[in-house]
Amino acid sequence: MMRTVEILLVVIIITAAFIISSFFAVLPLPRRVSPLNLRRIALTTLQMLDVNYGLSETVFKDLSDPAWGHLQIALSACLPPNIIYNLTVYEVQSEGETKLYRFIKSISNTESLGIASDSASYLAASSNVTFHVIPEKIGERGSGGTLYILNCSDANGWWITGYTAQSLAQDLYNLLSPYFQATIMVQNTTQLGQLLNGTKISSSPYESVTNAVVINTCGEAVPLPSGYYSSVGVGRDASGYYSLYCHTLGRRVSQYNWTWISIVGYPLYYVTNTALFSNEQNNWGIYGMKHVGEAGLNAFLRGINGENYVRDTQWITLGGGGNPSSALVHLSSTAQYFTNYYGVYPNAYQTATRAVPSWIQDRYNLKATTYIFDPVIAGGKEWIAGATFIHQNATGHINGKFIPIGLARTTDIRITALGILSYYKPRLYRSEYTANGTSRLVVLQLGQIGGI
Amino acid sequence: MAGSTIDHLVSVTVFLGALLLFISLFNQTLQTAILYQRHRYLAAKCSDLLDNMLLTPGIPTDWGKSNSTPTGFGLQDPEFTQYRLSPFSLMRLWSSIGDPVYYPKTGKTYSNITMGFGNFLLMPSTEAINYATATRLLGINGLYGFQLTIMPIVTISITETKPANPLTFNIDVAGKGFPLANANVIYCFIKVIQKGQGKYPYYAADYGSGYTDARGSLTLSFQGISATDSYALIVHASLSGLMGVGYRERVTSDKRYVLPLIDSMEDRRILLAHSYDVHYYGPPESAVFYNATFVLLTEDFTLREMPMDNSTGKIGKVNYGQGQPYGTLTIPTYNPGILIITYESNNEYGVILMPWGMSSMAFPVVFGDNPFSREWVATDIRQVIVNDIAYQATLALWSYEGYQVIG
Repeated sequence: MMRTVEILLVVIIITAAFIISSFFAVLPLPRRVSPLNLRRIALTTLQMLDVNYGLSETVFKDLSDPAWGHLQIALSACLPPNIIYNLTVYEVQSEGETKLYRFIKSISNTESLGIASDSASYLAASSNVTFHVIPEKIGERGSGGTLYILNCSDANGWWITGYTAQSLAQDLYNLLSPYFQATIMVQNTTQLGQLLNGTKISSSPYESVTNAVVINTCGEAVPLPSGYYSSVGVGRDASGYYSLYCHTLGRRVSQYNWTWISIVGYPLYYVTNTALFSNEQNNWGIYGMKHVGEAGLNAFLRGINGENYVRDTQWITLGGGGNPSSALVHLSSTAQYFTNYYGVYPNAYQTATRAVPSWIQDRYNLKATTYIFDPVIAGGKEWIAGATFIHQNATGHINGKFIPIGLARTTDIRITALGILSYYKPRLYRSEYTANGTSRLVVLQLGQIGGI
Repeated sequence: MAGSTIDHLVSVTVFLGALLLFISLFNQTLQTAILYQRHRYLAAKCSDLLDNMLLTPGIPTDWGKSNSTPTGFGLQDPEFTQYRLSPFSLMRLWSSIGDPVYYPKTGKTYSNITMGFGNFLLMPSTEAINYATATRLLGINGLYGFQLTIMPIVTISITETKPANPLTFNIDVAGKGFPLANANVIYCFIKVIQKGQGKYPYYAADYGSGYTDARGSLTLSFQGISATDSYALIVHASLSGLMGVGYRERVTSDKRYVLPLIDSMEDRRILLAHSYDVHYYGPPESAVFYNATFVLLTEDFTLREMPMDNSTGKIGKVNYGQGQPYGTLTIPTYNPGILIITYESNNEYGVILMPWGMSSMAFPVVFGDNPFSREWVATDIRQVIVNDIAYQATLALWSYEGYQVIG
């Protein structure tokens, strides 16, 4: 009998243990076991309501404005019927390092959000805020810092269909002048001749001919100054070919360490001067222009590389000479980063019809840096549709840079801007974001009703 | 001695019985706890997987605009951040709800995302991403099953309340849980201009706007429309960032019509088939003459035509049966828009709409396996934007492994 009593005592002890352990081992509610991620729903709801800055506009409106009612309707309409919400708006006030949040308004469809809720916050900026971005000037921390844009009134353009060289020059000025210490429009070929002679053409104290950036806005044509630079032995060879001018140009690029930019097509395919070639046309009806052909680019590269002039008529880019006609090129990851940094957004992929081959690097002592487009393989060769080619002399010093953008027409000057900015990388100094009265914090708290 | 033995026997029996009872009780508690833990893990996995799908564009990032199979699955629009989805990647998902369509002339089966007569979207199986591929790319093949539903938040239902003199519609705009009162409604009314038998009909567009009342309703009426006129009405409603699209067509020829089939996303090529080739209607019928236009929806919701050359297949005639080729046309852009095809057959007219980009006509997407009869299905929700149109993405996820799993 004693053992039965003992066993009963054991049973009582185990029962007590079970009850006590069950008391502590409380299982969660099914809703907590498999919950909706209310925080994410709240965040995505706020982002959706601000898709066209509607939310940012509303939260800065007067409290009696009907837009608040519209916001509540939209909020009720976009959330599932079993979701309850409370949206609260605070004004962000900064006092030194401290931030104060002052209550503005609350919208809700319930008195209580139940036992479990979650929230997300969203910072809305007023449309009245002016954000100042001060760019660092190229040349501030070194030499150079002058941008020359060829805006020659006595030159015509080719492969810039739909634009004129002058309109492109103005757009480039607007886009790039904040980043340079001096941006100077080269108004005619005479001024270009002065530059080639190493003479300043403006009164700006920041102008520096050496280490400058020169953008040729005439597309496949290059302005040719009359006089010395069009004379035999300097501008044209004994046979009358102006490819010699391109060679001279290459030498000047090397001499002054210029960054020469060809914005579209086959570089230096024509020379242009409306007075000099008033009766000549480029075989496509554009007067004031003379055909140079494939020899122009080859002579230019020889000039940069310090080689003697030879008229080489080999077509080296895509689109001729037995090479593939075109290739699809994509912005490089570096260029994509800088599109966001500088807010310049060209299309991410483009058709290249005049990309240069990568072998020019070995041939002319060039080195491709900061690719605008990733190189592509076509026809068994590697092609570069946009990059900064730097030329290094025997001592390793950089003397001359070349940015050929070998895309199909019509030209997109944002690519040119992106190419220059990604190479020089001027920094942007942005103003303070959270100024008083310009930011409001929107907190959306969600809960669930129904079920258990 | 006997009493002691009985005492022993009773005590051992009671002890063993009690032991078994308590083992089973503790075991049940533990089992429930483990099951709860698994379900909680499934819910966390569901949330992670949904974010994984919506916050990555996939590899390559522009796979939605190509014919290639991606090597990474993601639906984010590569041109944006956060929960903005690519209208073209969504087009390439094999629809779980529409019956596939077989077109003998190409020998292909097409994923059917058609939203009623006149609103077609058919993607060839060779270009559509199927469920098996998606699970493999997401790394959950054999472990989890899912169904992804992306539904427009704003629903616009259009009812024709008077067929003519004047043609009258009742527009009802609602969200997920509430009618959209005071919503700004902009509409585009497209009337098919009848040019006569054997001619290519074109359309005339009329625009207007209004606001919904407290019940989310609006009445529209159009003068000069007879009961035999064919038309399409496209309605765009917006309120505080919520935007939606609705549509309705009326045709006089609903058996002989042109069926647009996507042929190549990369080349933006569309095939135009005679409806008889797909639906196998009875006796021989006449050819269909069509006139196709591609329009972009601008910010103020007016339609801006993107010009297509005749050489791209803008106008043409299709017939059914062997020896009768289908028409082809090339969409001129990757910007989302609507392909409007007006057609005539035997003096009967109609209009067909096809979205280029899922959001242009707020088409829904249902992709994946059926969650019905699964033991435990975790769901999660995100609000997403597809080309400014508000959608809600819901992921239902279930596990193929573990205790108490059916399937």
